[in-house]
Amino acid sequence: MKSLRNQVQAAALAAAPALLLVLGGCIGEKQTDTVQVGYRGVAMEQNYDREEVAANFAKVKIPDPLPPAGESPPGPLPWRNVQVLNDVSPTEFLRTMTAMSTWVAGTGNCAYCHNVANLADDTLPNGKPIYTKLVARRMLQMTRQINGQYPQHVKNTGVTCYTCHLGKPLPNGLWFYTDQTDYLRHYLDRDGARVVSQEMAPRKDGNRSSVKQTEWTYALMINQSKSLGVNCTYCHNSRQFASWTQSPPARVTAYHGILMARDINTNYLAPLQNVYPAVRLGALGDAPKAQCITCHNGNYKPLYGAQMVKHYPALWGRPDWNGVPFKGIGTVSAPDTTPNIAVPAPASTEVKKSAARPATTGSSVGAEPAGGTR
Amino acid sequence: MLEYQNLFTRVQVRTLPEQGLPIPGSPGLRLGTGFFSSLAGKFGDAQFGPIYLGTAGIFSLLFGLIAFEIIGLNMWASVGWSPVEFIRQLPWLALEPPPPQYGLRIPPLNQGGWYLMAGFFLTLSILLWWVRVYRRATQLNMGTHLPWAFASAIFLYLAFFFQPLLVGSWSEMVPFGVFPHLDWTAAFSIRYGNLYYNPFHALSIVFLYGSAVLFAMHGATILAVARLGGEREIEQITDRGTAAERSMLFWRWTMGFNATMESIHRWAWWFAVLTTFTGAIGILLTGTVVDNWYLWGVKHGLVSTYPAQNALTPEQQQLLRGRYQGTAPDTFPSYAPNVAPLMLDSTVMAVPADTTAKPADSTAVPPAASTAPATPAASGVRRTP
Repeated sequence: MKSLRNQVQAAALAAAPALLLVLGGCIGEKQTDTVQVGYRGVAMEQNYDREEVAANFAKVKIPDPLPPAGESPPGPLPWRNVQVLNDVSPTEFLRTMTAMSTWVAGTGNCAYCHNVANLADDTLPNGKPIYTKLVARRMLQMTRQINGQYPQHVKNTGVTCYTCHLGKPLPNGLWFYTDQTDYLRHYLDRDGARVVSQEMAPRKDGNRSSVKQTEWTYALMINQSKSLGVNCTYCHNSRQFASWTQSPPARVTAYHGILMARDINTNYLAPLQNVYPAVRLGALGDAPKAQCITCHNGNYKPLYGAQMVKHYPALWGRPDWNGVPFKGIGTVSAPDTTPNIAVPAPASTEVKKSAARPATTGSSVGAEPAGGTR
Repeated sequence: MLEYQNLFTRVQVRTLPEQGLPIPGSPGLRLGTGFFSSLAGKFGDAQFGPIYLGTAGIFSLLFGLIAFEIIGLNMWASVGWSPVEFIRQLPWLALEPPPPQYGLRIPPLNQGGWYLMAGFFLTLSILLWWVRVYRRATQLNMGTHLPWAFASAIFLYLAFFFQPLLVGSWSEMVPFGVFPHLDWTAAFSIRYGNLYYNPFHALSIVFLYGSAVLFAMHGATILAVARLGGEREIEQITDRGTAAERSMLFWRWTMGFNATMESIHRWAWWFAVLTTFTGAIGILLTGTVVDNWYLWGVKHGLVSTYPAQNALTPEQQQLLRGRYQGTAPDTFPSYAPNVAPLMLDSTVMAVPADTTAKPADSTAVPPAASTAPATPAASGVRRTP
């Protein structure tokens, strides 16, 4: 009997180093940084996995800005059928087009969006519309809307085509109507994410939110948390999620992000349904739509806050950068904006040119309709 | 000398299976004549069976099986009857209660009807098992401590049925499923303003943790005196010996006070029973008497106040003016317009709080978009030269 006990002890001793190795694998290099983001001792903190953050950071590749545009000859734009970028100088226009060809098509290939026989055409030589060009035009308007109308969300970082496209024609996180994406309709046409009661005691005609409704809200919130790679406490004091008074300021930024997502999904992305070929549509025939992860890609700021748009005034949507007027924007008159074929223009979303819009740094951002007046 | 180990008893008795003592009245139908298992002997008594069946037991197993099948087959159906996906996704699969719009009405089978049916059979099964436990205890002329302890657990189980009845919606009930029922727990707490501030929830946790501490103290004490025969309960009762005396002396030395061999079991029984009993009361009060436990905590001084750090600036508060529906009582004064209470359900579009704002909201959705998913707004609109 003694010998059996000795054997067991020997086996345990032999196994100990192996166990240590296994445990070491868990502890080893995987280190978490905990950052306090609120009052001490109340678990208001952010946890960052160093490996994960390093890997994410390494994934972000920011293309070098193209050389600045040179002087342009005076006079109107030398091209026909320019509907969005008709307020920038010809050289800046060409520079923006060149950048877009690598940001989106990923090939530097003009033919991805253009009929190379006649760049002004919206159709191929065989008469079929080039849907990529029509979509790109709408996306340019959307980019200006985001940068110009949502400074409370994009601040002075702004977005370019590359923010979402990352050199690919299809951005990440596009979603369609399925029974799995119900909660994402909060980014389109569903409201009522708030479920927590505003009063201590229940009332007959008070808050009737169900626990199921709470689970949908929960799914939506986890979706945002994953999209940004942050904890709940990035935006909430978790002892009372509903309370604004106790919330970190990031919640306001996120809230305007939701408003922005609804705007671009409703007015820019969903209405492109009739432009896309069937292969780009969802099972129910709906156009691809965006969500937080489409731009954020798991980072708390897209591209970790790189100010790419600073180098591309044509996409900025505001005539100045921090009060300094952008060079080569808003100075050219548009000679011909009449489209020569049918283009998609959703009735509810008449979008004006960015130069015509007032600078909106300040209050009530997003509180007016797209292109509306103040 | 024989080495005696408590955890894995090496000495196992093999004889004719023990048939039990003669008891008055019919012992009922018994299955088998009993057999021995070496493995069972390592954890407890080596003898298996004969097992008493009885009407309540048979029907309990039958109804339990029906509930199990309904739940399992519904989960399997939810992955298109794919065996691989069923195994792979099993922890995430669920049989969900009816959606909120059904209230307390009977929904179609695939809209929670199966859920209600499974719940009915599971409840029946549990109640019949309680009957079985009660009957076996009385037939052996035992006290009824076991059935009443079990009843406390059943009370908590039934509280998850009574609470939805009281608030008027099946949808409040707990889904069947591994992670789904955990998700429900999180959602239930968030919906009712953080169950952390529910005092009965707190009591339940006290008794739960207390049960664990008592279990550890009792188990450790008895094992520690096993070398003196402390685990041999029969002998200890008739002949106290040194084991029981030492175990009590240990606690009197350590903390000045000790349980007796009887009272330690009463402590354990009450801690265990009160865990589920107080928990059930906490559930029954939620949504019926208190709708937001955090605010209840604020009112009764349970919520600590601490300096606001990393909170909204006044400029940011301005950005929220009239931008969201509903106002929490602890919100900013300027954001509390007097609006009618809202139905905050997903299918209802809530009106923005600041209805005096002049321009239409850019986030407002044209009616066309909210009616048919397949035809978002403005489809088919084209501009021609």
